[in-house]
Amino acid sequence: MGTTSTERSKKRVHLWKKAICHFLLCFVMGFFTGFAPTGKPPFMTFMSSEVTRYNQSIEIAPRPMVSANSGSNDSSVSNRSLSETSNSTAEEVNSLEESQINNLYPRRQIIVITPTSDKNPLRGVLLNRMANTLKLVPPPLLWIVVESQLESSDVSDILRKTGVMYRHLVFKENFTDHRVEMDYQRNFALKHIEQHRLSGIVHFAALSNVYDLNFFDEIRAIEAFGSWPLAKLSTKRKKMIIEGPVCQSSQVVGWHLKNLNTEVEELGIHISSFGFNSSILWDPERWGRLPAAEATKQNSLKFVKQAVTEDESKVKGVPSEDCSKVNLWQLHLSSKLVLVNHVPDSPDGGPR
Amino acid sequence: MKQLSLLQQQALGRRSNSFRSVDGAVDGAIKSPAALFWLLLHGLCCLISLVLGFRFSRLVFFLLFSTTSTPSSSSSSTITLPFLGTLDNQSPSILQPPIPANRTVVSRVVVGRHGILIRPWPHPNPEEVMRAHRILERVQKEQRIQYGVKEPRSVIVVTPTYVRTFQALHLTGVMHSLMNAPYDVVWIVVEAGGPTNETATLIAKSRLRTIHIGFDQPMPVSWSDRHRVEDLMRLQALRLVRDRRLDGIVVFADDSNMHSMEFFDEIQKVNEVGALSVGILVHSSDPNEHLQTEKMEDEGSSLPIQGPACNSSDNLVGWHTFDTSPYAEKSAVFIGDLGTVLPRKIEWAGFVLNSRLLWKEGTEKPEWMNDLDTLADDGVESPLSLLKDPSVVEPLGSCGRKVLLWWLRVEARADSKFPSGKLPNETEFWRILAMEWVIDTPLEITVPAKHTPWPEVPPELPSVEKVKTSEQRFVEEHPVKKPPKTRNKKRSSRGKKKRETKVTETQLNSRRPGEK
Amino acid sequence: MEIWKWVFFFMFIISFGGLEIDAKKRSQPHPTERISGSAGDVLEDDPVGRLKVFVYELPSKYNKKILQKDQRCLTHMFAAEIFMHRFLLSSPVRTLNPEEADWFYTPVYSTCDLTPNGLPLPFKSPRMMRSAIQLISSNWPYWNRTEGADHFFVVPHDFGACFHYQEEKAIERGILPLLQRATLVQTFGQRNHVCLKENSITIPPYAPPQKMQAHLIPPETPRSIFVYFRGLFYDVGNDPEGGYYARGARAAVWENFKDNPLFDISTEHPTTYYEDMQRAVFCLCPLGWAPWSPRLVEAVIFGCIPVIIADDIVLPFADAIPWEEIGLFVDEKDVPNLDTILTSIPPEVILRKQRLLANPSVKQAMLFPTPAQSGDAFHQILNGLARKLPHNRSVYLKPGEKVLNWTAGPVGDLKPW
Repeated sequence: MGTTSTERSKKRVHLWKKAICHFLLCFVMGFFTGFAPTGKPPFMTFMSSEVTRYNQSIEIAPRPMVSANSGSNDSSVSNRSLSETSNSTAEEVNSLEESQINNLYPRRQIIVITPTSDKNPLRGVLLNRMANTLKLVPPPLLWIVVESQLESSDVSDILRKTGVMYRHLVFKENFTDHRVEMDYQRNFALKHIEQHRLSGIVHFAALSNVYDLNFFDEIRAIEAFGSWPLAKLSTKRKKMIIEGPVCQSSQVVGWHLKNLNTEVEELGIHISSFGFNSSILWDPERWGRLPAAEATKQNSLKFVKQAVTEDESKVKGVPSEDCSKVNLWQLHLSSKLVLVNHVPDSPDGGPR
Repeated sequence: MKQLSLLQQQALGRRSNSFRSVDGAVDGAIKSPAALFWLLLHGLCCLISLVLGFRFSRLVFFLLFSTTSTPSSSSSSTITLPFLGTLDNQSPSILQPPIPANRTVVSRVVVGRHGILIRPWPHPNPEEVMRAHRILERVQKEQRIQYGVKEPRSVIVVTPTYVRTFQALHLTGVMHSLMNAPYDVVWIVVEAGGPTNETATLIAKSRLRTIHIGFDQPMPVSWSDRHRVEDLMRLQALRLVRDRRLDGIVVFADDSNMHSMEFFDEIQKVNEVGALSVGILVHSSDPNEHLQTEKMEDEGSSLPIQGPACNSSDNLVGWHTFDTSPYAEKSAVFIGDLGTVLPRKIEWAGFVLNSRLLWKEGTEKPEWMNDLDTLADDGVESPLSLLKDPSVVEPLGSCGRKVLLWWLRVEARADSKFPSGKLPNETEFWRILAMEWVIDTPLEITVPAKHTPWPEVPPELPSVEKVKTSEQRFVEEHPVKKPPKTRNKKRSSRGKKKRETKVTETQLNSRRPGEK
Repeated sequence: MEIWKWVFFFMFIISFGGLEIDAKKRSQPHPTERISGSAGDVLEDDPVGRLKVFVYELPSKYNKKILQKDQRCLTHMFAAEIFMHRFLLSSPVRTLNPEEADWFYTPVYSTCDLTPNGLPLPFKSPRMMRSAIQLISSNWPYWNRTEGADHFFVVPHDFGACFHYQEEKAIERGILPLLQRATLVQTFGQRNHVCLKENSITIPPYAPPQKMQAHLIPPETPRSIFVYFRGLFYDVGNDPEGGYYARGARAAVWENFKDNPLFDISTEHPTTYYEDMQRAVFCLCPLGWAPWSPRLVEAVIFGCIPVIIADDIVLPFADAIPWEEIGLFVDEKDVPNLDTILTSIPPEVILRKQRLLANPSVKQAMLFPTPAQSGDAFHQILNGLARKLPHNRSVYLKPGEKVLNWTAGPVGDLKPW
């Protein structure tokens, strides 16, 4: 009896030991699985929400990838109720999106600046035509339309219906000289770009411009400065005028000139015939330029023009093969109809 | 979130699996219930210890994690972490279930000063930008589906054209409007003098369904003849619509028209024949014409309009026609004349009709329609001559009050003989090749030594090739043979010649910064 | 052996205790209450017949005379208190017999004392409110019966019944002691805030309905702005250091997204503000000094998906409007990732939100039109009051029982008005 009992108790102790041994083993196993990477540990589920939230909160800083994840997490959290109701569609969407992402190769932003004046009776019509063209340009494109606040709101009315991503800037100043006003408007738009530090290729589009759509693909290739030929058509003249660069390959080596007597001081490329990277406005050091002095700060347009004209070697000819293809036309109409204030020989395409 | 639920499922799956394995063991040891019980208990305890081990390790993990990296942003400190909470009072009260901090401090809102979170990567992610644009596109499409025309009909656009200086400019404008129209567009381009490659390459860019046909007469120079020829071209297109039984709304878009996008929505309303107002942009190319334009301004800036006129109850009562009297003396006779190009009684632009009217025959054909073939012989005055009874016209565009398209007839001077090779009176410095609008620039530039834009000794091969290609282009237009030369030579020799014959237009040499 | 057993036992409990809490946490969803059905089924309730309101007749110095002094009170964001009064006077739920009334309304215009700039100065409001309550409690028996538990007050100012425009001071003051049993109808909605009383009814701020109506453009106008915002980013005048105003969230919006062409954000208020909202997909509604702003109302009216950046905001009529489905909530700490968050929403979700926003009953619930229309904000307030009926037995005090302390609060508030 006694032996059996001791044996039994021994056996029991042994059994307990064995059990505890098992438990410990399991415990250790669990312990180590806990250290495994947070992807697939088996009993991780009840922790993971905390883990992700925690990660999110501390990694607010430098890694865009992480933030992208957290972002999508968040949106799905707030839309939980929706995804529950339409799970199947959401999945379809996902697969659809994935296939879309492949076609979503990023393009460079184009910023088109268009100054307008109610002295141009064709303004509305031409805005419509310009919008039709810009709507066809693959995104991203931002259209900055400037107008004086004194004028009627038909501009915003027209713009609104176009579906183009635009910003409509208004200013209060009054001008008598059309040319000065146009330059002021361009500066006004540049100031907006500078204040917002918008990044992209800036192009000044006069309302009378007509574009081949290739134009916009071409100017996306500009790194710092670019220039291209522009054909001016007029009903009055027998010939048309080409303004813009003369190139060798994509290198600008000279300019088409209106006439020989042009003073060097007056020399300017046509305002619609060059484009530049907007970062020169708000980050000039990046392009090896001193920040604009106070005087030129007021006149960003001058600053940019200077930068373009003083050294052609930095200017890229567009299109890159010899910049000989005309993708941009400008139609000159009668001075009396288009502009009430006759401006003699304005470089921006005023009538002559 | 999705990932999370997946994990959960996985874990659940595993758990049930492990239970199932226990069940399997049960089957084997079914004989003694006590043994079964102990085995079950044993298994369960094993499982529990596994869980405990895992949890414990996570606790340790968190402890390490939290001490090494303290949250930097102010807002993150407000996030409650129950497990950190338990660890803080670990030693004394570990045996009590932790009270989540959430319960007591429920609000995350802290009164006082907060940090302004600025991320160090300020530039928009280009891929996200594209995605945003895609969203916008989708939203706009949905708006069209929801509020736009239900069951849209296709649009058949008839455009007479011919190759000339302004063609690219005008036709591109119309083309862009058509490309934007959110409907099926069939574009019938009738070209005077037969189809040309110039026009074909231009309209091919539209990627629309185009039908490019020729008309056997060249475009005349006088405006009145031209109107007549254009009418015949339009009739030819209408016959094509009839013969091919194209279904849709026929629109007459001249290449000098400009359209608002609403135009295309508006014409969908037409049943049989409709008319819209056309804004006439009178353009005078006579620089001496001060008086008239000033007079126009006095009359108000509203543009002259041509189109249907309605009474107060929106019934068609007549037509607004363009008052030509102020321009009578100065109107243009020839294309490119110094004068105003005036519209005639009723322009085709702004006139739309259902294409089925054209191919209905016999009794189906409405009585008020004229026959296309008889018209062709008599000649057509205006689109109204298609109809025997003009009162059937439906006035569109809020009964003509809304102007949705404009008419701007401007042409280059007739003597700019485009596209016959180079343009007249141009200097030799550049020429426009008709088809492609390519400047053929011989590079006669004297290059300042300091500022050489290309190497002194140019890389031979590419430059030779370049000359060849440009020569080829040249040869196509002019059967002038030139021996291939290197660019340098050509430049110096021709440049010299040019400098002697300088005219008004030239190129400026590259400037050095010091020149200023 | 025993020890081992106990150790296991305890560990067991800990681990599963933890699990339980996790589960609880998870099952507690976003704290906003909302209805399960589609938007509008509660919004379309008709309050008439479900409650009766007695409007106290007060001397005009508590309401009309104040308005006469400054007509701007009719157009500012807090004008709801005036329009609510006018509405109730002619409403079918009004009863002239206080004995059968479910609710009592005291018309006091507490936010109609404006600075020259048109901003309300609520310094005198506590004294005014106190004086009005003293008046009704001495002239009618109904206040003393419940000490205000069946009374409601419209206090639309930033921090509601705390009556101070600075949050810290407002918190210090707390809700006016005399209003502690009353139901408050307030614009301010910040969860777990001292100044937001439990059982309050949160209403939208007043936005001029006629003016907004006049700026409506056709719904097919293509939406070409991705994100739109007009307003202050820094309130330099009141918060020169930055970080107090909008808890830094607005400043973060500017600093992170001014250079993003998709974000049409600026401090300038253009004449086309309302039209621009109608051609935007997302409209930012970040907090200001208080968590709400009129942008919320504007966004809903103009069909622009409101992106609400205000942690723990309590939205107007949250028990009737499915805010989570029509709007988008972004934590203040996630503002720097706003672009990622917005661009990663599937287009289908966006379209669904737009469809829900197009629901006229949600729009109607945001407005205080004159004359009132069924389903408008007035009716929603009444619906909210009706849902609180019947009153709990505990609101009625035993004879002689006193709960309120008439002498509590800052000494300045005790002065007669």
